[in-house]
Amino acid sequence: MPFPTKARTLLAAVAMALATASGALADKIELLDAAPEDALVVNIDKMKYETPEITIKAGDAVTWTNQEVMPHNVHFLAGVVADEAVKGTMLKKDESWSARFNEPGTYDYHCTPHPFMRGKVVVE
Amino acid sequence: MTEGQRAAAEAAAQLAAGEADEPVILNAPEPDTRRVYIQDPAHFAAVTQQFVIDGDTGRVIGMTDGGFLPHPVAAEDGSFFAQASTVFERIARGKRTDYVEVFDPVTFLPIADIELPDAPRFLVGTYQWMNALTPDNKNLLFYQFSPAPAVGVVDLENQQFDRMLDVPDCYHIFPASPTVFYMNCRDGSLARVDFADGETDVTNTEVFHAENELLINHPAFSLRAGRLVWPTYTGKIFQADLTEDAASFREPFEALTEQERADGWRPGGWQQTAYHRPSDRIFLLVDQRDEWRHKTASRFVVVIDAATGERIAKLEMGHEIDSINVSQDAEPLLYGLSAGDKTLYIYDAESGEELRSVDQLGHGPQIITTHDMDA
Repeated sequence: MPFPTKARTLLAAVAMALATASGALADKIELLDAAPEDALVVNIDKMKYETPEITIKAGDAVTWTNQEVMPHNVHFLAGVVADEAVKGTMLKKDESWSARFNEPGTYDYHCTPHPFMRGKVVVE
Repeated sequence: MTEGQRAAAEAAAQLAAGEADEPVILNAPEPDTRRVYIQDPAHFAAVTQQFVIDGDTGRVIGMTDGGFLPHPVAAEDGSFFAQASTVFERIARGKRTDYVEVFDPVTFLPIADIELPDAPRFLVGTYQWMNALTPDNKNLLFYQFSPAPAVGVVDLENQQFDRMLDVPDCYHIFPASPTVFYMNCRDGSLARVDFADGETDVTNTEVFHAENELLINHPAFSLRAGRLVWPTYTGKIFQADLTEDAASFREPFEALTEQERADGWRPGGWQQTAYHRPSDRIFLLVDQRDEWRHKTASRFVVVIDAATGERIAKLEMGHEIDSINVSQDAEPLLYGLSAGDKTLYIYDAESGEELRSVDQLGHGPQIITTHDMDA
């Protein structure tokens, strides 16, 4: 049985999010198909975003990396980073999802199947 | 004589007497404490049914249709029953509509149909207290799971959706006054939510159970008494008395003896817990089972004095029972519902004697609702 590679999973994540974001996406957030070396990392472990609030500068990238076998994702509600919701694909253990934030603001997110997992990105 | 035989004899007599047949739409009898509603989630089918039954005679006296995993409620005073439901424009796909329907309890005609904006219902196997009416019957409260925990307020009096209340990571809804309800939270506490005057004020009780004490999805709750009865997977019973002001926890006790637990006895089923308010008794579905077969049917019900934790009876049901409830009159009926048999077995709650049964109740009936009409 074939398993998707990490790269394919990331591409699928980007394609899915772009498809739901209908153009407005590129302004506030840019989804990346690979984790930039200078990205700030938010690890996910023990049913938590380890850094639930992260402050960055406009233009910085953030990479979320799941450290546990329980799948997690990053889900921005409609109107937060785009007109439509941006619902990242589920990350298995050691998989990552990255986005660059272009506009100052506070962007709340949660994990789709675990709504009690919440985080925010503050862009200065 | 069976119900069918009685009707046949009656029709034969009318025919012999030369009485013409005048077909009409019937009304159901007035609601009473022995009316019982059987919701059939039909194993996640896109449409569902609810059977309305006279527990005294074991007759189906009416039915209501529902959509996907609807949630039934019944005003304790018998003035109406209602449901929160979900339909789609192409059977199980297309535009989704969530709505609340209120039914006249005699004609069964819908007297309100209130749309819920943005499809906020939590689509889940039906848990009896995931939705609730406020004790004044003016609002229906329903739960939203995703994208964030929230409780929707549906104004039944004015037949309109009111608003969503942001709540913590908590589940189930137990109203204690027209504007206060409680929820069970991930951290092991109860949340008290006051939504009076357009505000949402949330406070938490102390943590009342340990992380490894797993509370089941089917607690019993009496809107009239404010009593919450919440078993764990092992049959440890937590109780709280909920008032507008506060939740008071009672000393927990074990529903099963040490010997029974050593012999593999555990609660199991769907709606596993019932509470009889007038006698302050708890009914719990139990059987011998593996720890992780907590959703299989049980063949026994233990009856417990809620005040002392003392065992009153252990009733053998004679069938594979998934859900139980009781009528709230002085000499209650015990309802035992088998999703596998699609049959409601009706027992004398005191002796455990099976009195009658009603079969052919849909595809997988699971939820039993009654009216607690003797205030």
